[in-house]
Amino acid sequence: MTLRNPKLLLAIPAIALIFVFMILPITNMVEMSFRTPGESAPFGDDFTMMHYDRILSDGYYWAVLGRSLLTAGVVAVLCLMVSYPIAWHMSKATGMKAVFLYACIASPLMTGVLVRNFGWMIAAALNGPLNEVLLGLGIIERPLRLLFTQGLVILALVHVFVPFMVLPINNALRNISPTLVEASSSMGASRREVFRDIILPLSFPGIYPGMILVYVLAVAAYVTPALLGGQMVSYMPTLIIGELTGTFQWPFGSALAIVLSLSSILVVVLFTALTSRLMERSKA
Amino acid sequence: MATVEVRDLRKRYQDFLALDGVSLKAESGQLVTLLGPSGCGKSTTLRCLAGFLEANGGEITVDGESILGTPANRRGFGVVFQNYALFPHMTVAENIGYGLKIQKLPKPEITTRVHDAMKLVRLDGLGDRLPRAISGGQQQRVALARALVLKPKLLLLDEPLANLDARLRDEVRWLIRDLQQQSGITAFYVTHDQSEAMAMSDMVAVMKAGRVAQFATPREIYQKPVERYVADFTGEANFIPCQSVTPHGEGRYTISAAGVTLELAGVPGITGPAELLLRPEALSLTTPEAGTFRGTVTKSAFLGAALHCEITLNDGSVLKLAAEPNHHVVAGKEVGIAIDHTHAWLMPEVTP
Repeated sequence: MTLRNPKLLLAIPAIALIFVFMILPITNMVEMSFRTPGESAPFGDDFTMMHYDRILSDGYYWAVLGRSLLTAGVVAVLCLMVSYPIAWHMSKATGMKAVFLYACIASPLMTGVLVRNFGWMIAAALNGPLNEVLLGLGIIERPLRLLFTQGLVILALVHVFVPFMVLPINNALRNISPTLVEASSSMGASRREVFRDIILPLSFPGIYPGMILVYVLAVAAYVTPALLGGQMVSYMPTLIIGELTGTFQWPFGSALAIVLSLSSILVVVLFTALTSRLMERSKA
Repeated sequence: MATVEVRDLRKRYQDFLALDGVSLKAESGQLVTLLGPSGCGKSTTLRCLAGFLEANGGEITVDGESILGTPANRRGFGVVFQNYALFPHMTVAENIGYGLKIQKLPKPEITTRVHDAMKLVRLDGLGDRLPRAISGGQQQRVALARALVLKPKLLLLDEPLANLDARLRDEVRWLIRDLQQQSGITAFYVTHDQSEAMAMSDMVAVMKAGRVAQFATPREIYQKPVERYVADFTGEANFIPCQSVTPHGEGRYTISAAGVTLELAGVPGITGPAELLLRPEALSLTTPEAGTFRGTVTKSAFLGAALHCEITLNDGSVLKLAAEPNHHVVAGKEVGIAIDHTHAWLMPEVTP
């Protein structure tokens, strides 16, 4: 056999990997989501739309889906607000200072997901350090119930996803020529106007991937909501895992997973469509 | 429009003295060129004028009033950059109208003024394009229009032609000069290209290591340089060391150089060693007997419009000159060199 393009050979391992570990399982899952529930097997022999009917007709699932998508959106926006100033400072840093900042930024990722979340559980406990500090400062009079709240889930997710936002924005900021800032200020723009009209739009090629990355990661996050969100608030990933490993409803769990995937893809597509003009103009 | 004076301007970076007492003056409506090699402080001076850099000492006044305390965005100067610095996410029209938008002018007025500015730099019809979709020459014209549309008190140009190819450079150069003269805006122009400086300027400041070596008209800079550095930087030049110098009268000297005694003009007040400056066009070939100097042709190259020759004199100095192309010159031939006394100039020998 002769290959017309021998460079394709180099792509074969990657294609094989993606096929075996992504295309096949997803195809399998999509198929499973249309199967009837099984008696003694993971799923039955017949095809059905019943799982999708159940999800779409039950307000509970709509609420959980909405909460998942909204929480991820809040995480992405908060992440952007926290990360932008950090990225700004990083983009100005050179030499050892830059290395040090990169290490600081990457630090949340250097801790294992379980250790990090147990850390949050301890920090946010009723008699934990967070409450002690707040009490000590006289900001609160009795300890706050921080653990197992949506707020803590959001805080923990923002914390761990900051690097995914900082790094692309830092990159985009570094690509903005300083003469653009000088040009706009020579034209009369104040620092605020320079930021609003020049820096912010031109950093969008960094904001965009940061938002997408953080959003997608936050939608799919399982461990943090499961450990810090408690039993009271459900998110789609915790629900899906419950169906798959708790009640062994594989077809229904698959359908939930497909619904979640499609909805988050829809959000990404909408975000892309809404910002495409800005993206088109601001890309280098 | 505005008279701009720079007095004893100083700028220090850690251990590098970028400006060591720069003094200049631009009369209203003049175009003043800062000419010099990279690192001489010409861009630093311009950036201090623009307000992008803070000087460590000295004074800059516009119409007699200090501007050092005014931030760049309130100085009301137009700046044109070497890399154009167009906002890549704004169209040509938005780029040109940006400053007007900042001034919160009514939309119809912005539209009219942007339209007029685009017409002025011959960019009609390109208003909706993004900068990346137009050529380098067009981009520089946008940058120019963007600065001029604000009717600045002072126009600052930082090597505006350096990124353009030779043909465009010529075109944009004349456009800049025309617009500057039409509008009567005082302008500072930074360049390392002496021909640009000669052609465009009312005054030229030749800069050397953070100082102004000479500040004069292009003609004086070229014909009456105060030192070898200036002569070298402004064009092709021959130098002959003088054996004796006798001053008589203001700026007149009798010298002997390469075995010949000459009477000529020079920098006033020379007391020490001096050298004779002879531009190639002050020299012409003649017979050995008729010439002022006598020498041997060591090199000749036919350049089309002229014949480039190098002639070694008996004292070892080498003179370069451009001869008439059909002149018969071969290496090794003995020739005479006639000099045009009005183009000979005496300068003190300054250790660089």
